[in-house]
Amino acid sequence: MAEDPAGAVFGALAEPVRRQLLQTIADHPATATELASRLPISRQAVTKHLSSLSAAGLLERERAGRDIRYRVTPAPLTQAMSWMAEVGGQWDDRLSRLSRTLQAPGSPDATLPG
Amino acid sequence: MTDRIERQLELAASAARVWESLTNPALLAEWLADEVTLELRPGGDASFRSGDELRSGWVEEVVAPVSGSDDADGGQSGRLTFWWAEDGEPASRVELVLSEIDPATTLLRIVETRPLEILDLVGVPLPGQGGARYGPALVAA
Repeated sequence: MAEDPAGAVFGALAEPVRRQLLQTIADHPATATELASRLPISRQAVTKHLSSLSAAGLLERERAGRDIRYRVTPAPLTQAMSWMAEVGGQWDDRLSRLSRTLQAPGSPDATLPG
Repeated sequence: MTDRIERQLELAASAARVWESLTNPALLAEWLADEVTLELRPGGDASFRSGDELRSGWVEEVVAPVSGSDDADGGQSGRLTFWWAEDGEPASRVELVLSEIDPATTLLRIVETRPLEILDLVGVPLPGQGGARYGPALVAA
């Protein structure tokens, strides 16, 4: 994994071809040869993009006979889950503080419109 | 599958008062973070400190609730959108939307999203030219 995982992921996904590759692999794990036959890119280009995606931690490799099959690694998704739990909890705390402040007696008046 | 948090609650206050709580740094310090600075204009700077955690960011949109707005029965509504990020972390976008239900009750909805990485992973295209709209932390990455 790179030092800055988010930056590496962003870099890897900046290229539309790599997003398309990732999408294809997310549907079905595949080898470079299979990907090259499915997409309008050369096998050589596929291999190059696959290594960027792997370096960003988005793909993992497994042996398939003489070939290597790529699948999408679930790690970034796990990170997303923990982000949601943490950020959601923070908002629950903040919003209950906000609700308490607004209910406090003696706070500034509510000026009514028109 | 997106990085998205959404909360909604009714507050016992007018839209004007809730807006004040969302935009006045002294009032923000009572609930959002220990210390807040906020330049209330699109592109304005923002910073949020809680304990030793410091987030910096920028304001995307400011729409204050308008008194005596055109639609007589529709209550006032307002919106504040900003981006924030801890140093070295991906930025996320916070949208605070308020709408007055009656003069003593206002509905507040917050949505925090982290639009990169995962959204992209599931095929949602980056908005704008080359993702130029993303926050400072991302541009630096």
